[in-house]
Amino acid sequence: MMDREESIQIKDRPHKNLHEDKPPEEHVSRSSALSDEQRLKVLSPGMLVIKRFLRNRLAIIGLIIIAFMFVFSFIGGLVSPYDESQVFKYIGTMSKEYASVTYNEEYRYVMADGRDYNAAAHAKFILARNTGKTTFTHQDTEYVIVEEGDAFYRIVSSQPIADITSFRGIVAINALDGEALTESLRASATEAILSGATQFTSEGVLYTVTQNGREYVLGRTGDAAIESKNILEPAVAGTTIGYSFAYEAEKAVRAENVSSFTVDGQTFEIEEEENLSVIYAVTDGGKTPYAIFSRMAIQPISQDVFLSLAFKKQLIESVAAGEAGFVQADQAGAEIEYSLSRLNNVYTVKSDTLTHLISIHEQPSWTHWLGTDKHGMDVMTRLMYGGRISLTIGFIVVLLESAIGVILGGLAGYFGKWVDMLIMRIVDVFNCIPFLPLLIILGSIMDTLEIDPQLRIYYLMFILGIMSWPGIARMVRGQILSLREQEFMIAAEATGLSVGRRIFKHLVPNVVPQLIVFATMGLGSVILYESTLSFLGLGVKFPLASWGNIISGVTTAYEMTNFWFVWIPAGMLILLTVLGFNFVGDGLRDAFDPKMKR
Amino acid sequence: MEQKKGLIQKWFGRKNGRGSAKSVNYMSAKEIRQISRENRRITDEFERVRNRENVPESEYTAVMKDPGNILEIEDLNTWFFTDIGTVKAVDGVTFSVPRGKTVGVVGESGCGKSVTALSIMQLVQRPQGQVVKGELRFATDDLTIDLVRIPTEKMQKIRGNEISMIFQEPMTSLNPVFKVGMQIDEVIALHNEGMKSEEVKARTIEMIKLVGIANAEGVYDMYPHELSGGMRQRAMIAMALACTPKLIIADEPTTALDVTIQAQIMDLLRQLKERINSSIMLITHDLGVIAEMADYVVVMYAGRIVEQGTAAEVFHHPSHPYTVGLMASRPSRIRSAEQLYSIPGSVPNPIDMPNYCYFRDRCNRAFEACNGDYPPTFSISGTHSAACYHYSAVSEVGK
Amino acid sequence: MIDDKRMKEDRFERRPSEVSLTEASLLEVKNLKTYFPISSGLFSKVKGYVKAVDDVSFSIQRGTTMGLVGESGCGKTTIGKTILRLTEITSGSVTFDGIDIHALDRRALRALRPRIQIIFQDPYSSLSPRMPVGEIIGEAVREKRLVAPEKFDDYITGIMKDCGLQEYHKDRYPHEFSGGQRQRICIARALALNPEFIVCDEPVSALDVSIQAQIINLLKALQAKYGLTYLFISHDLSVVEHISDTVGVMYLGNLVEYADKASIFDNPLHPYTMALFSAIPVPDPDVKTNRIILEGSIPSPANPPEGCKFHTRCSYCMEICKLEVPQMQTIGAGHQVACHLYKDGRRIG
Repeated sequence: MMDREESIQIKDRPHKNLHEDKPPEEHVSRSSALSDEQRLKVLSPGMLVIKRFLRNRLAIIGLIIIAFMFVFSFIGGLVSPYDESQVFKYIGTMSKEYASVTYNEEYRYVMADGRDYNAAAHAKFILARNTGKTTFTHQDTEYVIVEEGDAFYRIVSSQPIADITSFRGIVAINALDGEALTESLRASATEAILSGATQFTSEGVLYTVTQNGREYVLGRTGDAAIESKNILEPAVAGTTIGYSFAYEAEKAVRAENVSSFTVDGQTFEIEEEENLSVIYAVTDGGKTPYAIFSRMAIQPISQDVFLSLAFKKQLIESVAAGEAGFVQADQAGAEIEYSLSRLNNVYTVKSDTLTHLISIHEQPSWTHWLGTDKHGMDVMTRLMYGGRISLTIGFIVVLLESAIGVILGGLAGYFGKWVDMLIMRIVDVFNCIPFLPLLIILGSIMDTLEIDPQLRIYYLMFILGIMSWPGIARMVRGQILSLREQEFMIAAEATGLSVGRRIFKHLVPNVVPQLIVFATMGLGSVILYESTLSFLGLGVKFPLASWGNIISGVTTAYEMTNFWFVWIPAGMLILLTVLGFNFVGDGLRDAFDPKMKR
Repeated sequence: MEQKKGLIQKWFGRKNGRGSAKSVNYMSAKEIRQISRENRRITDEFERVRNRENVPESEYTAVMKDPGNILEIEDLNTWFFTDIGTVKAVDGVTFSVPRGKTVGVVGESGCGKSVTALSIMQLVQRPQGQVVKGELRFATDDLTIDLVRIPTEKMQKIRGNEISMIFQEPMTSLNPVFKVGMQIDEVIALHNEGMKSEEVKARTIEMIKLVGIANAEGVYDMYPHELSGGMRQRAMIAMALACTPKLIIADEPTTALDVTIQAQIMDLLRQLKERINSSIMLITHDLGVIAEMADYVVVMYAGRIVEQGTAAEVFHHPSHPYTVGLMASRPSRIRSAEQLYSIPGSVPNPIDMPNYCYFRDRCNRAFEACNGDYPPTFSISGTHSAACYHYSAVSEVGK
Repeated sequence: MIDDKRMKEDRFERRPSEVSLTEASLLEVKNLKTYFPISSGLFSKVKGYVKAVDDVSFSIQRGTTMGLVGESGCGKTTIGKTILRLTEITSGSVTFDGIDIHALDRRALRALRPRIQIIFQDPYSSLSPRMPVGEIIGEAVREKRLVAPEKFDDYITGIMKDCGLQEYHKDRYPHEFSGGQRQRICIARALALNPEFIVCDEPVSALDVSIQAQIINLLKALQAKYGLTYLFISHDLSVVEHISDTVGVMYLGNLVEYADKASIFDNPLHPYTMALFSAIPVPDPDVKTNRIILEGSIPSPANPPEGCKFHTRCSYCMEICKLEVPQMQTIGAGHQVACHLYKDGRRIG
């Protein structure tokens, strides 16, 4: 029944042979010279956009800049022989302090063997000498100052050896345990007590008599130390200078016309010069330098350096001559240049020593085209790696924000009503959040948690993406709202196309141009934002490079003026990249703009 | 595989012979730059001449050929220098508007009728658009001016005062943020210096009443969006008439309006013309409107006049095949036919037009002569002329 | 016979439901009301309604054209969209070939969609600018698998030829076409789905006069070829007169007069119809029509006058017009009019 009716119906309808029937209108688009397709070029909308874009000089400049940035950052990093955080060092001569020289104006002491004449005793000596006393007491021991020459004192201390009782001319001497008193000593002591002397000499040894009521104590003196302003130092490393040598040497040097002396059977010879005397030990074969005697204190800065005799000699000569420097061969025979500088009474000797140095703020050269930064890293290489991070962050953030923005904006625009209401209020809320303070707080939280710099970049991308989607969502929503009312969308609905197809084939392609323009413009601002944050120390952290934190490496006016090669290139790269993206964005907008259509 | 092949074909544009057409029509970037450089040179020269200061009066005064005319357009050429070539929007248009008469200019979109009006008003979008050649003689009270050569600041006085314009879309022609009354006040105050503000307002209300708005005081304080389309057009007309211009250019004044409102506005324009005795240049694509309003009719096609004459001549004896086709293609109760007559093809794109009759390819009466140069204007009667070789036997005027 | 077979293959199988039960009318609109809420404030409180279509009934017979005329804002476009269920109905019903369109679920509606198509006024905004013409025309055909994939190309080419487009236009984009050609593309898109009914919403208003004639001729030729049924919405009375079999006149959401072409144009009954017809300018300078000039403009559909909506502008206005809404009544042979001037099939007063 149905079938029959159907066939009838079809028969009733006019034939629909599409191939044989003449079209009802024959006259369209004859290839006449006046038809527009003959005289005007036609292109697909995409090609039209490309064509218009390519005609825009500024956009092409922008494109070239961006292409350059990509090559620079992503290929440059591979080509560059250096690593991102490779620190450059060099073995360089560095003017280091080597020794110091002063005219010694202080007393120095040499302690006799077995005595405990220490710094405190030395201080008491200075006090006593300044007040003109000849004795001073230190730790129950009485010391006697014996002047041997100008600014040369022998410090002598006495030890009780006997008690003496004197009663009306009768002197009784009782030797202390273990002491044997000779007759001559006894006679001398008696004589001294009777005469009331406090010191006497017997057989070349100085004795003291100390009165304690009617009792006297006889003390035998012994050398405790010598105090002198001269300095006696060993001439060769490893030599220790003994007390007796010091005493003898001092005496010998001071004495006129004495050119040799003997200590413990060893003969020494003095070679006297104005500020420095060298004492040689005379042996069978000849003489070897043994000690140096001078008014000058020569001290190496480093404790493990032993200054050679020749060095000292040369040094003192130069000091005396007022020279600014001298050349002296070191132990290996290499000539080393020393410079001499004077501050008050102190002369400082500096030598150019070889050390491992970090090449900080090295000026541009063929090895480092843009020099090095304050960490001794190659600025050019860091710019390349920094560009990588900046561009990557830019793209990922824009992708992220576009994804969120398109989805939410699309939902709001397509479904409208309460969905739109809800999403747009969320957008409003996001627009109200002050993001810079928030980022500063988050930055410091991440600092406290000591988050890995690599991880920190991901957080940064995420945060930047989250904060910038509302703009895109708003734009997409607006676009979709206006497109939804376009008649081609209604026509698509009328043809019964599925919702998915309507959205993805009709709606999305018409939103994409706006989105591309928006995203391109957004790229520039994200890069700028990232740089700002990195500059403030909140974004990408050292040792990872980013253009922002490269700039932040230079902070003071001095650095800015002198190390221009660190911050100007980074600044230029940021400027050019943002400019490039804006040029391209403008170019795209002009190219997509239907008003440009001819 | 097949798909891939198709894709490749599509990519190279070789499918269905489209590629060859494309390559012929391809315009290289270099070519376009060359054109724009050349355009820049030409327009800069025009701009330089236009922007001179202290132009002597003798340069822009002229003599009317017929003192009965208010406006004489002679060989007007308004060209647009675009990146893909020179668009001769108006190409040698000659006609005149007699005093107190209505001249209807009819044609399809892009035929140059609006550009003619804009040329008269010196409102062509410069610097791309330039009046390249021709004279626009306009008779003011004391002297005749050439509107092509008059300096812009002097033109300002003529615009609104002597010539005013009514546009198609009343909503976009009125500023939405000002009250209607204020906008009319402004025009009156601008052209009547020293007029007191009460007088201005009184005049405005008078004008609003004149265009048939009963509630004149109320409308005076309304914003454009509060008015309906017809009321807005009335307000626009009131504004145009505010300074009793000698010539009113009405560019599609009723196209955006409904039929009943259109009837109202046409009625109004007719009444007003009689009352203020000014000339009207009515631009429309609607033959019906022209027939009702116009004394003289000018038919334009692709920037040129194809036919002109009195309304009776043009409507009763349409001569140019285009005019004939245009009239036949309107459904009419008088000629009830199953199939409408239709002019084949479409209006040509006005870039780099070939030198033969522009209508030849769509014409059903084309013959050998049509392959020659663009036809000159042939006179059919004293007032009726057509640019078609079919009338070459009658007589030749002009060229 | 071969043709029939071929057609069956080329075009898709017809469903049994398509076989018309009421052979006479393909589309029936009964008491159609489409109101748009006017909401304001934060919580979208409904303040009132724009009564875009207010109680309209008519029916269209298969293979005929109904013209719908009226001024802007009278609701004629809304009727078109409501018939396609692009706008939801407020009350009433739209029955297409026995199917109540507004009672269908989404799946059934999508299945029905190809049978009713629409052509819009603006040929510029009704084509997606980023799709080649072939895709625009064939998209829905492919998605709905109306023709076999191997025949798809030929099918689309055939449709395009029918609409006066060339095969090489397929790869081109809408911006390369003039207004008239775009309108042809719109017609081809509608036609490709093998519809029975097409709503033409002012399809020629945006076109030049010489192009209008081409499109009108095309529509008529296609109707003759495919037996299409049109609802032709226009404000241009001459075009409507030329193309329609029956004509409905709308004023402010109401159908005020509905009759076949001859009787409505020769003998308009409603005062509004009379005024409307007399307002058409005649392209003949010698014909001086006795024009009825309507005063004022159309009231807002959000706040229409009481009683007969036309009474504010009507020169025959009576007391009853201000109070009572006139009902549709039939005068003579199927000539329907909603006016108090007529009672019991004849004019009073």
